[in-house]
Amino acid sequence: MATSSKQYKNIGEDLWKGRSEKINAELFALTYGALVVQLIQDYEDYDEVNKQLEKMGYNIGTRLIEDFLAKSNLGRCSDFREVGEVVAKVGFKSFLNISPTVTHGGPPPPSSPRPTSNASMSQASSGSSFTLTLEENPLAEFVELPEEALEGGLWFSNVLCGVIRGSLEMVQLQVQAEFISDVLRGDESTEIRVKLVKYLEEEVPIGDD
Amino acid sequence: MSSRPSIQQPPTANLATLADPPIRQIDGAAMDYFLIELVATLRDSAAVATARAKKVEQQMLEAGLIPPPPPVPLSLKKESSARDSVTSLVSRTGSAAGSKSGFDDEEEPVRQRLESIGMHVGANFSERLCRDRPMFAETLDAIKFICKDIWAACWDKQVDNLRTNHRGVYVLQDNAFKPITRLSSWESRADAMKRARLYAAMPAGIIRGALSRLGFNGTVVPEITSMPQCTFQIKLPKGA
Repeated sequence: MATSSKQYKNIGEDLWKGRSEKINAELFALTYGALVVQLIQDYEDYDEVNKQLEKMGYNIGTRLIEDFLAKSNLGRCSDFREVGEVVAKVGFKSFLNISPTVTHGGPPPPSSPRPTSNASMSQASSGSSFTLTLEENPLAEFVELPEEALEGGLWFSNVLCGVIRGSLEMVQLQVQAEFISDVLRGDESTEIRVKLVKYLEEEVPIGDD
Repeated sequence: MSSRPSIQQPPTANLATLADPPIRQIDGAAMDYFLIELVATLRDSAAVATARAKKVEQQMLEAGLIPPPPPVPLSLKKESSARDSVTSLVSRTGSAAGSKSGFDDEEEPVRQRLESIGMHVGANFSERLCRDRPMFAETLDAIKFICKDIWAACWDKQVDNLRTNHRGVYVLQDNAFKPITRLSSWESRADAMKRARLYAAMPAGIIRGALSRLGFNGTVVPEITSMPQCTFQIKLPKGA
């Protein structure tokens, strides 16, 4: 079912309006900011902080996807391109009330597409990617990074990458999500690149047959 | 414009509110998941930090730079065997407070971190809430602000009961405290209450932070006797 970009946008809006509980985004921004500060104090290593934020996001993502699938009634995405559209226009919109723009990655590498267990995903092959450009980042509302953090390589909103990875893994997509630029670091824009690594086979739990 | 009958607010007030950016919101469920994972993440980071500090302390001890920690007094030893594993760090930083609220010592670093995050949130958020208000005439007014505005902004309701002894102690009671209403444990009711106490640490910090930004430095202790009811005991120093 080819759903246009505009339709996804409307679905996202409807889902957001239908969310029963909404809280002030400032509370969220302040809490997240204090958490990052605490992590920096505890780990004293910016790479480790990045990893911990991503891990935290992964755990959050695994739960969010259930909520998302339950409320949105969207079917399987036909290709990775559609995954990007859904993540940007419906996912981010329904939980964070922001609409990042999505730019789809370059053509897949020349190696022949690998046969996958999921026949409906005809087009994509590993190496496809999409880039989310966040015009507004609710996490970074009151934030300014000090010199040390900039030099140390902190990706302040790394939790978002984890959320993307966690939620997509629960729908059998192994992806790599990382920041490529961040306005907090002085870059022009805030961008997350999500690259498809491979499709995960549905596994039968051990001892189940 | 000034000759218009003043049923409406004066134009300047309207302009000021127009100048405010619209209140941004995010989904409540996402925030709940975030808070749950926040506690888990802090548990890990607290363990790392405590281990590192213990290592440094051990090194200093071996180098003879600090005297060995004083023997734990008999009264504390009797309380529970868990006390034996208390590091000198933890016992230095307010173990008295810990014993009063009955926390496990393992959870104390997490609780502390949650409270300090709460203080940051409470202080800054109350600043923004108070922007257009005049100063509070009395301590009681500040407490009422907490009971109404902070509670409404954070947890969508107001405090159910406020008691005071008029000597600097206030008890705020919420019969259905939002952060713990949906908390349950598959182990036992008692376990659920124990976890709830930990999750009440951040709200306690929010209250404490809000009070401190308003100029009142006191302590806030959450108490949970039956879920989902939660009381916060605020102790403000005399003369506040």
